[in-house]
Amino acid sequence: MMTLRIRNVGQITDASLMFGDLTVLVGPQATGKSIALQLLKLMVDAGQVQGELSRYGLDWSGQLPDFLDVYLGEGMHGVWRQGRSSIEWAGRAVDLPQLAARKRRAKNESLFFIPAQRVLALRDGWPRPFTDYSPGDPFAVREYSEKLRVLVEQEFGAAGDLFPQERRLKREFRDLLEKHVFSNFHLRVDKVRSQKRLVLGPQGGNGNLPYMVWSAGQREFVPLLLGFYWLMPPTKVSTRAEIEWVVLEELEMGLHPRAISVVVLLILELVARGYRVCLSTHSPQVLDAIWALKHLRENHAPPEALLKIFGAPNTQPMQRLAASAMEKTVKVYYFNRETGATADISNLDPSAEGQAEAGWGGLSEFSGRANEAVARAVTNADREEQR
Amino acid sequence: MTFKEAVGLTPNLETAWKDGLGALEAKDRHHIKAEDTRQLRGSADVDTALRLRDPNANRWDFAIGYQHTNRNAEFIYWVETHTGRENQIKDVLKKLEWLKTWLRRDGQHLDKLDRDIIWVSSGHTFFTKGSAQVKMLAQRGLLYSGAVLRIPNERTW
Repeated sequence: MMTLRIRNVGQITDASLMFGDLTVLVGPQATGKSIALQLLKLMVDAGQVQGELSRYGLDWSGQLPDFLDVYLGEGMHGVWRQGRSSIEWAGRAVDLPQLAARKRRAKNESLFFIPAQRVLALRDGWPRPFTDYSPGDPFAVREYSEKLRVLVEQEFGAAGDLFPQERRLKREFRDLLEKHVFSNFHLRVDKVRSQKRLVLGPQGGNGNLPYMVWSAGQREFVPLLLGFYWLMPPTKVSTRAEIEWVVLEELEMGLHPRAISVVVLLILELVARGYRVCLSTHSPQVLDAIWALKHLRENHAPPEALLKIFGAPNTQPMQRLAASAMEKTVKVYYFNRETGATADISNLDPSAEGQAEAGWGGLSEFSGRANEAVARAVTNADREEQR
Repeated sequence: MTFKEAVGLTPNLETAWKDGLGALEAKDRHHIKAEDTRQLRGSADVDTALRLRDPNANRWDFAIGYQHTNRNAEFIYWVETHTGRENQIKDVLKKLEWLKTWLRRDGQHLDKLDRDIIWVSSGHTFFTKGSAQVKMLAQRGLLYSGAVLRIPNERTW
């Protein structure tokens, strides 16, 4: 397994991550999950990151603080504390100042990063180019936005439906997304006075809805859908050959639980296709799915048991997906705000002695307290009634 | 009235009171973590004490007395240790009904003390804290604690 160890970087005092086929990071806001994922990208794709930054005219003069400001975003140079901060990747120490000093250029990337701020990638319903952002905006956001622009312009340049599309995604996914995200509306390219834009509209009909009147969930989901399109090309080869890793931050943003369950199933599709996927999440539903996956595997449940959780049809393609997903390794890490360290909570055992694991890194804490309050109220009321 | 006095005045439980967690079998004791063991006010093995009287009933396991530092009266934790499997829910609910009936019938003194009724998992747990099963139990007044019951020194409610 690949390992990443980060010490004394930003809020992180000691993060030790061993990646599975699917790795999930949980923890309160601002505990270093995003920094860890961006450092993972840097470890995997330093040459491509530096090549892209240079291509767009960003110059950090070989200095690590300047490099961190253009890569992680303005003001982020402070996360690295010279002499105290350190990174190990795959068991080897990485000299980050030296990495920043050596300008490398590589075209190909191995890690596809879908940032939490993906909603910013669309403006007025069209993906923004890299140069549309401020130099102080994080690289992950700018790069994702640029990728979507290229995808939409090259592959969907002509007017027509982007969703649903027969050769994009399995039919079962299209049906689930139509039902739970798009409410039977189609996503298509439209033109207003020569300006192309993405709109939602009824099948073959008039009355297109521009970006600003989409629901918040649809605005969040469309940039994510385009990312899935990019990762699952409509070719015989079901993956982008050069991509090994996929990072997806906060997949649940703006989505109803039913839509979240489709996205989690899409994640399992990515894993089944052979991508190594890393997520960060604040959604207990994601951990519910991981927890169930583990127990279904341990108890030799059939693939349809997994599909049932997602309300997915029990068709052969979906059974193959579920069977493959159930064979994969899953790791879950908790980023602890108090200690700044990570804990491996992959067992997700609700009866674990450690609060981090039993409470799923705080994600089931609120439910636990609600249960406690209700149980006490009921038992007290019982006694009052008896008197 | 103290927990010890209430146990002593309860039919069939007169001699059941033990110091600390003494009424619990060793295998059950590690499921209970009191913040300050000096605040424990004893325990009673209800299941064993009522075996002759209600041999075929789904009897509750035990009671633990605790003095929270911010409360005047002692507090009772009614604890059932049972595997956390879905197919055990019916059994545990039967035990809960037995406990409530028994408290009404014979346990008036114990019933006067504030309480929590807790299911502590004795093995792996197969439902989560946010699950519908745990919410259903809570609605019946039964709190599912997972493998460990932590008793804090102070409790506000």
